Amino acid sequence: MKQREPNLLIVDDELHVRESLGHWFSEDGYEVATASSGKEALAVLGRQHFDVVITDIKMPGMDGIELQRRIHETDPDVAVVVITAYASVSTAVQALKEGAYDYLVKPFDPEELSRVVEKACEKIRLAEENVALKQQIASAAPKLVIGKSREMERVMELVESVAATDATVLVRGESGTGKELVARLIHTQSPRAFGPMVSINCGALPEGILESELFGHEKGSFTGAAGQRKGKLELADGGTLFLDEIGEIPSKVQVELLRALEDHKITRVGGNQEIKVDFRVICATNRDLEEAVREGTFREDLYYRINVFEIDIPPLRERPEDILPIAEHFLKKFSSAMGRGVTCLSPGAREMMLRYEWPGNVRELANAVERALVVCRGIEIEPLHLPILTRNTSQDAGDPDDLSMQAIEKKHILRVLKLHEFNVTHTAKTLEIDRVTLYNKMRKYGIERPTG
Amino acid sequence: MSQPWQVELVGIGSVVPSLLRTLREDLAGILVRPVWISTSHIDPMPFFDPRRGQYAAHSILERLLQPPPKENVQRIGITELDLFLPVFTHVFGAAQLGGPVGLASLYRLRPEFEGSLPDLDRTHERLLKEVLHELGHTLALIHCRIPWCAMGASRLPGHVDLKDSAFCNPCADRIGVPINGLQLFDENP
Repeated sequence: MKQREPNLLIVDDELHVRESLGHWFSEDGYEVATASSGKEALAVLGRQHFDVVITDIKMPGMDGIELQRRIHETDPDVAVVVITAYASVSTAVQALKEGAYDYLVKPFDPEELSRVVEKACEKIRLAEENVALKQQIASAAPKLVIGKSREMERVMELVESVAATDATVLVRGESGTGKELVARLIHTQSPRAFGPMVSINCGALPEGILESELFGHEKGSFTGAAGQRKGKLELADGGTLFLDEIGEIPSKVQVELLRALEDHKITRVGGNQEIKVDFRVICATNRDLEEAVREGTFREDLYYRINVFEIDIPPLRERPEDILPIAEHFLKKFSSAMGRGVTCLSPGAREMMLRYEWPGNVRELANAVERALVVCRGIEIEPLHLPILTRNTSQDAGDPDDLSMQAIEKKHILRVLKLHEFNVTHTAKTLEIDRVTLYNKMRKYGIERPTG
Repeated sequence: MSQPWQVELVGIGSVVPSLLRTLREDLAGILVRPVWISTSHIDPMPFFDPRRGQYAAHSILERLLQPPPKENVQRIGITELDLFLPVFTHVFGAAQLGGPVGLASLYRLRPEFEGSLPDLDRTHERLLKEVLHELGHTLALIHCRIPWCAMGASRLPGHVDLKDSAFCNPCADRIGVPINGLQLFDENP
């Protein structure tokens, strides 16, 4: 984006000053206007916005201080530079106290004049850039594509009420319900929105690496620690730390994490120095943490520490009224991204979607729509484009044992693996998990790549 | 721009003749246009401000307009005196933006002014760059963001050294000056 050139208004009752300065800044490429009095300056400012106003302090009628006050009453963003004679520097100081950007003592060094005005313009540019970036961030805030059902309206109300606070949030929900999206929404609506949001999947990393990822490490603290590295907690300073799959965190790290969450102080692995960090914590899990506490695999004190405010995202099958609006949203999104002219779901496809259980929730729905778009050649998604749904509709759910989360997850992983001919990288991408998590889950469910 | 403009150099006060001659030759080589030295000199004393001990650049510019230069003649005054504009402590030069007259001073461009040893070559080169700069203003060029272009803003004598004795392609093109030599820098930084 090309930046516009700043414009200047020069206010001085002496013609030669207006001419000299006007000429000087015109040569510099600024758009310049002049006014011979405070009254005239206000009239000019009423017609056009100026980024910088350079005004003499001592003028008949309205003086520079009064002019500055009047300008800032209507537009506090204008940078006012006051010009003064040597004898009245104290007046210039008064102007500074009242909000003038800077002052210049007559006669001034050309170098000094340019420096002051360039700095004022830079301030204006940064302020404009800041506003633009804030708008950009606001418009890029995640759209919560998890439905408009009563259940999800409730989730949104909770998000809205907790976002303004600094309370620790525990987001619960099955895999694929959009827990990270909810966390991101809380972050973007919170006062920490302009700080970083740092995410880590606690279930994806072995204990040693997770510890180093969370707390950072000092050079030489372990084999391979070639340099000092900041951990996620440190990187989240001023922002939000999102701990996904908190239920998978190993016992040793639980102790250290609890300490860090309580004291907001961390010590890097291999280091001695305590580092103060300021972050808000949002955790997510699809595990029954209460059960884990009872079993002794999850610390009770950590459980109470992270479960200050709970948001439970219901699975898609419990809110069927969300299925079609979400499917249509993804249809529109992917169709536009792929440059396809597919515009709607056929009645058959709609019915099939409504009958399906959606064990993988919104993520699975998104994948199903994307896949259907790839194979669809017409303008409408038909049931034949959704073969994955024909294998597990609620009508042929089969053995009730198969409805456990683990069984559904195993089936789903196996299905996607087959879809990608057991290519782990592609499968992990489709499942939106990392390869390590996929390997862990394959090991957990005893899924092996077929030989031969 | 293809007007057949020419350059007239006018000495203001005492100016070493060899300095003007070298300047004329250098300018003619760069601009590939007629450049001549006026036979008349301007007496600077009416423009002296005893309070400041300097000469008023804006008044000298007005004097340079008398008699008015012929059409398409850019008249540039050359002086070894210290110049000021009313609100500034000093200026290296001044010009009417898009007007026929400009003014360049050697006073603060001499290396000895900054405490360095006298260096005639550097002095000549700085004056040449300053004259090209003010001439550019008389031809309606504003300050250029390309650091080496003669139209780059120079607030300190050292800044003048960073520039070339040449216009960048866009500036040269605007005033109809031939583009000479290899241009090593990106012109749209």
